[in-house]
Amino acid sequence: MAEVDNRTQLDWDALEVGETFDKFEYLLTQEMIDTYRKGVMDPEASFATIAHKVDVRQYNNKYTDAGSVNARCAFYCYNPPIAGKRLTVTAWIADKYLRRGKNYIVTEAVSVDEDGRLIDRVITHELKQPSEVGKKWGG
Amino acid sequence: MGRIIRGYAEGDEITPLVKEMTQEAINLFEGSAGNTGPSQFTDEHAAREVLGTEGTVASGRMSLTFAIEMLRRHFGAEVFNHTGTVDLRFLRPVRPGDTITFTGKVTGTSKEANGSRVLVAIEVKNQKGDTTGVGQGSAIVPTAFLPPED
Repeated sequence: MAEVDNRTQLDWDALEVGETFDKFEYLLTQEMIDTYRKGVMDPEASFATIAHKVDVRQYNNKYTDAGSVNARCAFYCYNPPIAGKRLTVTAWIADKYLRRGKNYIVTEAVSVDEDGRLIDRVITHELKQPSEVGKKWGG
Repeated sequence: MGRIIRGYAEGDEITPLVKEMTQEAINLFEGSAGNTGPSQFTDEHAAREVLGTEGTVASGRMSLTFAIEMLRRHFGAEVFNHTGTVDLRFLRPVRPGDTITFTGKVTGTSKEANGSRVLVAIEVKNQKGDTTGVGQGSAIVPTAFLPPED
């Protein structure tokens, strides 16, 4: 039996800047870190949290839309996460804007580990018309 | 903790970082976070459906990670992993098979309560010379790590 999708269809006009999502928790394992380091070809890469895209995870759990393209991303390093620690993420809608007729949503998230160490902050600007990539850059 | 003892001046160039993008690397990056289902990053059909492209693309967050690596190597992990920032705009897709080169140049410094913030302009180009990303990064270098002022 197919799962029911209870997510809300995004209404960009109605989306409120400041909307804060339910906190998201996950365990960062050594395996996650090792796989991330292989993927980015850097054995010393410290912020495996980047691949978890935690700033948009709760947005995607709540809303459904036509998809998105990452247009801009800012990352602030505070303390490298430690394998085996649970991380708690608080994410919210930081901004939205219309540019050249295209809709963007800005999400922001802060991660803290189970000991209260501040890990990182990420701010992402997502273009909500992903097919623009194919139109502009083609195959 | 190692000390850097290096002055930072406008125009100083950062050692470039070169990465060869592969589908395997993209799959590992996505898979490290448990994102194993088909997506525009891992599946050509999904990329065609969502983006309208012929093939997959790499997440911009991979370029973000590479920019972080370049600056971490320059400033040192002890400094960059606690004070570093990168803000990158993605101008063109990066695809499997691309070779992307990250370059950086110091654009200025400013005093902070806990050291000096060094600002770096970042540019990313592919093997064709097309710019795929631009942005800036920074790190706060503790005053104790810098040469004494006159």
